[in-house]
Amino acid sequence: MSVLRPLSKLPDINAASVLLVENEEDFQQKLAGVMVKEKSVMVKVRLAKSLPLPAKNEPNRPRIDLVVFLINLMSELSLQSAEASLKHLGQGYFLGKVCFMVTNARHAALPAERMVAVRKLASGLRCPLLYAEDQTPDGVTNAAERLLVILRVAAGCVPMTTALFLSNLTSCIVPTEEEEQQNLDFDA
Amino acid sequence: MAATLIPPDLNSSSSTDSSSTSNRSISRSLRVAEKAKKGIKAEDPIVAALKYFSKVQKGTPCRGNDEFENNLVTVERVAYSKGLSPEAISVMLEFAMSLRMGTVPCVRVLKCLLPSTVVPHQAVVRAVVWLCVGKLSIATQVLFIKWVLTVFDMIDAKDNLRAIYGFLFSFVTEENLCPYVCHLLYLLTRKECVRLFRVRKLLELHSKLGKQPYLLHLLSLYKVFCPELVTLSFNSRIRAGFGNHNGPWKLALNAIQKRTAVLVPSDLPLALQTQEKAGSRKRKLGHLDLPVLTAVVQSQKQTSLSQMVVPLAQIQSFVQLLENLHLIELPAQMGSLLGSSLALHYLDCVQDESAFLRINFWLGHSLHEEFLFCGHGGASQGSDEAVQFLERLMSTQDFLQEGFSSVEAFLYKFLNVWDGSLLRPQILALLSNVPVVPSTCISRLLSEPLEQLFFTSKVFFKCGLIESLNGMLVKWLTWHSVYALEDGRNVDLDTSMNVSRSGFMLSVGELVRFVGRLATLGLQLEGCHSLLLSFILDFYDTVCDIFQKYGLPLVVMIPRSVFYPALFAFDPISVDRLAKIMNRYKINLTAAKKQEKITGKAFHISLKTYQEFNHYLAFMVNCLWNSRIFQPGDDIELSEELLHESGVPQYWASFSLTNHPAFHCYAIDFHHKCWPERRDVDLKSIQHLQQWGWYLEYLFTQGFDGLRQFIQSNIKTSSRGP
Repeated sequence: MSVLRPLSKLPDINAASVLLVENEEDFQQKLAGVMVKEKSVMVKVRLAKSLPLPAKNEPNRPRIDLVVFLINLMSELSLQSAEASLKHLGQGYFLGKVCFMVTNARHAALPAERMVAVRKLASGLRCPLLYAEDQTPDGVTNAAERLLVILRVAAGCVPMTTALFLSNLTSCIVPTEEEEQQNLDFDA
Repeated sequence: MAATLIPPDLNSSSSTDSSSTSNRSISRSLRVAEKAKKGIKAEDPIVAALKYFSKVQKGTPCRGNDEFENNLVTVERVAYSKGLSPEAISVMLEFAMSLRMGTVPCVRVLKCLLPSTVVPHQAVVRAVVWLCVGKLSIATQVLFIKWVLTVFDMIDAKDNLRAIYGFLFSFVTEENLCPYVCHLLYLLTRKECVRLFRVRKLLELHSKLGKQPYLLHLLSLYKVFCPELVTLSFNSRIRAGFGNHNGPWKLALNAIQKRTAVLVPSDLPLALQTQEKAGSRKRKLGHLDLPVLTAVVQSQKQTSLSQMVVPLAQIQSFVQLLENLHLIELPAQMGSLLGSSLALHYLDCVQDESAFLRINFWLGHSLHEEFLFCGHGGASQGSDEAVQFLERLMSTQDFLQEGFSSVEAFLYKFLNVWDGSLLRPQILALLSNVPVVPSTCISRLLSEPLEQLFFTSKVFFKCGLIESLNGMLVKWLTWHSVYALEDGRNVDLDTSMNVSRSGFMLSVGELVRFVGRLATLGLQLEGCHSLLLSFILDFYDTVCDIFQKYGLPLVVMIPRSVFYPALFAFDPISVDRLAKIMNRYKINLTAAKKQEKITGKAFHISLKTYQEFNHYLAFMVNCLWNSRIFQPGDDIELSEELLHESGVPQYWASFSLTNHPAFHCYAIDFHHKCWPERRDVDLKSIQHLQQWGWYLEYLFTQGFDGLRQFIQSNIKTSSRGP
């Protein structure tokens, strides 16, 4: 069982690499297609169904600057798989180099508990939780662009900021029950 | 349940009336269908199928009955491809609800009852009569009520449905049916329907079943109509609307409506009323299309009754509206109000709370269904319909000059799951229309979702969001200045929440602080992007004038993180705008001081604000005019050695008006104009008294008005150059 570590390799000049982990392997393909077109930095996209990554590719794998877990909220399996994969990630990644991206958050048949579970997962790990629209090309492009914004920071390509700083600004917060109640009172 | 048992053929006022008409319409439709058939060479299978279903005998077995199977398949095919005509709906509904061939075909037929244009109300009433017979299983009853709710907007007239309100009401005792029946009743209720015995029944259910949202909704509507009957208080507002129970029809209906919208009308074989069809494009169920303004009461006999009502649909002109203002009957669907400017005028002046309650309910329901609980994962989102709907909504809000509370509630929920690109212009515009949010809620409702989107999106989103928040601030301040004029101290900005003046000031302060945070971090992340800077300066353009322009005694200084990037910007526009903003700050602060002296009232602009302003002003003058930068005590302080090591000659003058990177090219241009024969440029020669004056004149002719105002009001130019 190899554990992925953020600082085990040297970075390449003006390059950033991202690892997209998705159980269903559909949305990650679309995202990767958009992300590799980025011009300002050389983006390397690695795809995985789950972690751990196979050990035999270890030597020619670049340093992974950002790990993105793509979760389809309509599938319980997708969430479970992401949860299982998290165990194979070094602690260093949780200092701003992990983020979650969920799809189908506006689906009618989405159970409320799963949404809460995902939010709890992300906030427990102090990671950002991004929502994405995977059905439309515009939605995919936008999701890819947002990931690139985070990736460039995580790879150190943006001066004056660090991955931990950005992650701190954007990490998911779960409202306490009391706040939730107030919220309902106010806007229902 | 005793009263509900009316066999369809007994003489009972409304139901017999409607059932006979429905029979007539069925037979007429068949006659016409036959006529049409003669015209077409091959017999249309759907006509034959409908004939079969209208004539089939009771007790015919359905298992192994090929004729039945074929006919039903034909109907289903037509239903799913282009929808059923009103006549076909009548025939099939009658067939299904009468259980002539048992429950199995009944459910199957109900599932394919997709109207192409409208649903005749007679058919629905007749079906309710069959419901009252009580032979249907509960599951089928639920299915039927769900179907009625789904096609409710397409029922051509609702007055007969209102007439059987009592029968429908009796179903609330059935536990499984209750949520759906309550929803249906909510849609049908009028003031006359609210009776003491009904209120009692609902309250009894309420105590038995607990706080069910559907009961509370219905009760709250009753309370609006007859506050004296319902004593229950609804202090915390009710959680969600009626559940999303469109059942299996909605997707199919949307598909049909999409298709028929492009089809030539004559493609529908059995549809007769071309007039209806002309309107059919607008009569789609999809919430995004505004329903046509139709009257609840269609027959004229109602007017002879003691209570005279005039349906809004019959009002043609503004004069008529004024004459009948007290008699207006609201339409069956409140959504249709959005489409008519006369109706909006009415809504604007009407005092009746029920109108707003109903339109809020309709809007909240539609927005939630379309954007938060999408059946298909949101594939068709961002379509033209959605854009048009939201734009119509915005123009309505602009017209009424107030936001709907349901839109606000929807927006807060939507922001939490927004990806930042879907319908961006519309959502941002709606956001800028949000009424004043209490200061304690700003961080939870706005900051949390927006900050994450802001920091993880590209610079264009950042600009859009800052612009939207600027719009929000302007709206709040405008409301305040309007209401403050009307009414002395307390500002009653919203009927639902009274905002005191101090509370309002706290909210504004919180919003400005929030945008300040976004601006600071945004500029840092984007490396002081000049487009972003421009939008941020727009915002501070509003902020600096709060006291003078809007009469609110609040001055919030521009943060350092925006001041310095703007002052050292590479483009002269930013510097010019900063100068303008600083000048406005000065005017506001002096006016505040003056007012303080005149009225003697304690003004809550702290000394710190004045100090901060003076600090900025001194720095700006030193930097641009006096060529004295990097002084000890400044915000920007560099050690002497470091400055010497940098090797910049005369570093103290490197941001003066001649050397500032933004104005450098102007200085060189001026130098060329002054001394065209000189080869080597020596900017120091501009700093002589006479040339300096000319140089300033030259800069002012380039359109730097902000800079001119700043220099004229802060520096005595008669004295000397730098």
